[in-house]
Amino acid sequence: MTERCAVIGIGQTHFKKRRDDVSMPGLLREAIDRALEDAELSIGDIDAVVIGKAPDAFEGVVMPEIFLADAVGATGKPLLRVHTAGSVGGSTFIVGAHHVITGIHDRVLAVSWEKQSEGNAQWGLAGGRSGGIGAGGAFAPWIRAYIEESGAPEYIGWMVAVKDRRNAAKNTYAHLKMPDITLETVKESPMLWDPLRFHESCPSSDGACAVVLTNQAGARRSSKPAAWIDALSVRSELGQFPGRNPVRPQAGVECAHDVYRQAGITDPRREIDMAELYVPFSWYEPMWLEGHDIAGPGEGWKMVDSGETDIGGAFPVNPSGGVLSTNAIGASGMVRFAEAAMQIRGTAGEHQIDGVRTSLAQAYGGAAQYFAMGIFRSS
Amino acid sequence: MTELRTSETKLEFPYSRTTGPVIGAFLAGLREGKVLGIKGADGRTLVPPPEYDPETGGYLGVELVEVGPLGTVQAWAWVHDPLPKHPLDHPFAFALIRPDGADSAMLHAVDAGDPAAMRTGLRVRPRFKTEPTGLITDLEAWEAAE
Repeated sequence: MTERCAVIGIGQTHFKKRRDDVSMPGLLREAIDRALEDAELSIGDIDAVVIGKAPDAFEGVVMPEIFLADAVGATGKPLLRVHTAGSVGGSTFIVGAHHVITGIHDRVLAVSWEKQSEGNAQWGLAGGRSGGIGAGGAFAPWIRAYIEESGAPEYIGWMVAVKDRRNAAKNTYAHLKMPDITLETVKESPMLWDPLRFHESCPSSDGACAVVLTNQAGARRSSKPAAWIDALSVRSELGQFPGRNPVRPQAGVECAHDVYRQAGITDPRREIDMAELYVPFSWYEPMWLEGHDIAGPGEGWKMVDSGETDIGGAFPVNPSGGVLSTNAIGASGMVRFAEAAMQIRGTAGEHQIDGVRTSLAQAYGGAAQYFAMGIFRSS
Repeated sequence: MTELRTSETKLEFPYSRTTGPVIGAFLAGLREGKVLGIKGADGRTLVPPPEYDPETGGYLGVELVEVGPLGTVQAWAWVHDPLPKHPLDHPFAFALIRPDGADSAMLHAVDAGDPAAMRTGLRVRPRFKTEPTGLITDLEAWEAAE
């Protein structure tokens, strides 16, 4: 049995460096309550719950699915926990949608989060064992490789940072809002992981994101517009192996081609109206534009340079401000899906783009080895 | 050459748990020598207090009620040889204790001296630390009140 699946409720917390005003259960519930209110449902109306977060070592809560069952309204209901590192918010969304698409459940709540202030993500990523080079240290050599292969000027990374931080200033829930940031601000910020500067790197955030997913009958009962899911895909590969191209991972190429095929898209740059891509470090915007074949080889940075990925451009990327401005790691992938769905529903507020009929959401995780992608349409 | 079959690794990290308005108030109560619970949706008094109702998932608010000070042992297990991380450095009982006025039991330690002194139904009173820090261990142990 195959049902169409729609997003009818979206909720996010306000993202901050430290949300010590709420417990971890309270943080999730803040996003869940907003999503349920948006969906015009109560927690008792939900049939099943799917939750996702990044590695347990980040906050030291082992088996959070047990700790949080009450707060996510899963008492006596099916509860699944998903884990695919930084892409987990995206894959949690997809597992939730599969519950609906297969006809197993009518109304599913998917929620993802990170409360990074309770631990230290760099330590968690290293598992307490390695040298602790951090995510930026792992990605910096690949970014350098992209710059050298593509011939992109250094200021492209600064441009992405300026765009995303200014976009975040239009987003109520975003963490870092810098409406007055300039190329100079980025250029003069300290070098963290050469060639990545401080303002080209994501923050550590506390926050959660929740979505309510339902079938056609459920969407008909909602008084608000739905965002319809036209394609979903996940792919993964080893983080390192001889012959791997980490700048353009094969799993990312295949994940993208799979969602384009499902949605009947042959020219993504023309047929997709906007995208929310997982860009924790500025250079990942052109790298994913090329890595997902939206732009040809060496053409991604030119889309940035020409302003095509600005809110007013032909292919806006991350009008929400993206991961570069807000990164509660486990939530970040789901926020991409939620924001892409909001653009379809026309509920993105100040960062809404006019006339979005087809949107793309993407999340990646680990050593750029897990991918989760989705395409939303307005009908 | 002999292969190395194991490689020792030790993980340690000081996490900081945000307690929220309900557990935070419960811990503040312990610091003041009080055990606090919360009213569930069905009117039962739950100790320790959850933020969300265990039956309905509903929000229970932040108004806590004091219970005890005496309580009743509902189930117990004697610890003959305490480990360094146990709450007491001499033999004791882990027990489920229902404070007076509460409808649920909390897991804690009973400093009873001898297993012969333990029984289900034993009345106990809390013993608080003289220098509290806002942790569950501020309630050092329960002791017999008969």
